[in-house]
Amino acid sequence: MTNTWYLYLFFAAALVFAGLLGLLGKRNLIKLFIAIEVIGKGISLLLVGTGFAKANILTAQALAITYIVIEVSLVATALALIINIYRTSTSLDVRKLAKLKG
Amino acid sequence: MIILFVVLPLIVAGILPLVGRVSRRVVPDLLANATMLFLLVYAAVAGRALIAGGPVLQQTSWLGEAVNLRLVLDGFSLFMLVAVSLVGFAASLFSIDYMEHYGAKANFYALYLIMIAGMNGLVLATDLFSVYIFLEVAAVASYALVAFGLGHDELEAAFKYLMLSVAASAFIVASIAIIFGMTGSLDFAAVAAALKELNAGAVIGVASAFFLLGFGLKAALVPFHAWLPDAHPSAPAPISAVLSGLLIKVSGVYAMTRIFLNVFGLTPALSTVVMGLGVVSMVVAAFLALGQKDIKRMLAYSSISQVGYIVLGIGIGTPLGIAGGLFHLFNHALAKGLLFLTSGSVQQATGTRDLDEMGGLAKRMPVTATTNLIGALSISGVPPLNGFWSKLLIIVALVQAGHPVYAVIAVLVSVLTLWYYLIMQRKAFFGKLNEKWATVREAPFWMMAATVLLALLCVGIGILFSSTVTTWIQPAADVLADGIHAVTGSWGF
Amino acid sequence: MILQTALLIGLVIFSVLAIALKDLIRSAISLAVASLLLGIIFFRMNAPYAGVFEISVVAGLITVLFILTIALTKTGDEVRESKLVDVVFPIVFVAFLVIDALVMKGLLGKVPALASGAETGSFGDALWRGRTLDLVGQIAVILAGVFAVLALFRKRDKHD
Repeated sequence: MTNTWYLYLFFAAALVFAGLLGLLGKRNLIKLFIAIEVIGKGISLLLVGTGFAKANILTAQALAITYIVIEVSLVATALALIINIYRTSTSLDVRKLAKLKG
Repeated sequence: MIILFVVLPLIVAGILPLVGRVSRRVVPDLLANATMLFLLVYAAVAGRALIAGGPVLQQTSWLGEAVNLRLVLDGFSLFMLVAVSLVGFAASLFSIDYMEHYGAKANFYALYLIMIAGMNGLVLATDLFSVYIFLEVAAVASYALVAFGLGHDELEAAFKYLMLSVAASAFIVASIAIIFGMTGSLDFAAVAAALKELNAGAVIGVASAFFLLGFGLKAALVPFHAWLPDAHPSAPAPISAVLSGLLIKVSGVYAMTRIFLNVFGLTPALSTVVMGLGVVSMVVAAFLALGQKDIKRMLAYSSISQVGYIVLGIGIGTPLGIAGGLFHLFNHALAKGLLFLTSGSVQQATGTRDLDEMGGLAKRMPVTATTNLIGALSISGVPPLNGFWSKLLIIVALVQAGHPVYAVIAVLVSVLTLWYYLIMQRKAFFGKLNEKWATVREAPFWMMAATVLLALLCVGIGILFSSTVTTWIQPAADVLADGIHAVTGSWGF
Repeated sequence: MILQTALLIGLVIFSVLAIALKDLIRSAISLAVASLLLGIIFFRMNAPYAGVFEISVVAGLITVLFILTIALTKTGDEVRESKLVDVVFPIVFVAFLVIDALVMKGLLGKVPALASGAETGSFGDALWRGRTLDLVGQIAVILAGVFAVLALFRKRDKHD
């Protein structure tokens, strides 16, 4: 693998880790979703970076675009859920979701 | 035309809202159930003939140009398709009556069909990234379906499920990217061949770990199970049935099994880890199920436990173990689907899911009580029902492969399972009829029909287990036991 | 190369800011800037299609959706984030960055890879011919999202 792959892998890992930390620590539902978005950035960076390192950039772009389309659907659904949660409980605090203990 | 399995539900889903404007109930019911019935008949009847000569590869051409729409129907995918169509059909029958008071039935059926299309697509895909896309298709539909009732609990459960699922997806795609980087390809056959050439043990180990994280969460293996006990109870009953009975197995177990056995090849290390996860899930979830008061929550923990059995069986890697695991997958789909449906009947009749509030319902709802009993005994592994045979296969395979301790644990957990199911049966159905329920009625026709169908199958497969195994399970197990050769040999396009 | 690395560092900084900032609108804008930087990074990697998608869809559409949600759920910022998290997480993140850098340095050249053949055709070929099944999947996931939103925002009589 060419050395540039490791550069992109480094930054992608940093982004994914930052997002995971956000998921663990933040309480506002919208913040949690921003953390998910950051994870998504990390993954699309990894996809395109891998394609670049392998000189397979066209396929990698197709993958990244598909991934972004999936992300949009996810965002729409999640935000619809958040808005509905706000309507039923007028709070965006994830601690209020602690009723469900898992 | 195996592409129909994916495209037909999507097209019907697309036209359902338009139809729904014209006729709010009858036509959507008819369309959706007819679609599911067609898929079931196609898979069960035409499927076997199709794969008699080896896996069916379909590379369609669109308007004369060859396009990469590659789908493969082999023993394992056909087996999953039959399971999905069967339980999917029963749940959609059940929805005819159950979803009445939720409103927006056409919308419900549309999402339901999209989820089925996603599962079918996952099972027929030949390419790592396609597996991921269809996994997400089914997942997005399922988030909305879990939250369909728009109550507070359902929305919260759906959001938590979404968050954890997205984290899992990230790991899955990361692993796919690593494999793409190493091999330059995403197609199963090409990747399998390339990985053998490369001999990259440590990196494959990392990729496997990421896959285990991702697919393990989708399959709700302990310790990645936290989302399931909230999501499955809050969903409407037919959706709980499909989530527990199908989705965790298609997105979790199928994907993991296909990749680990047919693409990576099951190494001893991987086998040990998978079996370990299976045993832990089996034991921990069974104990957690014991103390539950909510009937659906208990069923949810039981699902986690039974998936542990399935994964344990497949993880052994021997043909008998794989066959046992797959058979249990099928049986559990039927029985757990049945149990969630009957719990929906009970919930609709009494308005509660709390076991302590129920009592003596058998007197007022005899059909539901009987079908529930059949489902409970099936999962607990009581002969001559289907669950007994699949658990027996797994236990025998464990002993044969030199894991007597695991075999003993499996037997003990079975006993535990029987115990908590009998508690559930007693609290809800037997005993004195609680005053409050003196006027409840048996479930409406379609709900009853769906549960009776599944119960008959549990009994029938239990009696005819050997022909079921030879016709449906064995071809699937053979494909998996072949390992990498199944893919590199006959899947070459 | 230097410019690329600077852009990548900027991407990480703005992403972390998006998660850490208290004000939701500033978070959303920070996320949009991060997406913009990622789009530019893609352009410089000879991935113009991915870059365009990233900028128009993620920096554009998703940011609009976020701001819409923020507007619809104005609570007066009642959600107090944990102070402990605000202190501990930067430390953990920096520690991870150090470990990450060391791991990458150690992995340099260790991950085996097959030499790849030259890519033929255009991007259109790669997408429409090479990944056609993915397009079916995309249609399906868009349908799923549309129906999900329709279902979640329908006029409801309360279900008990």
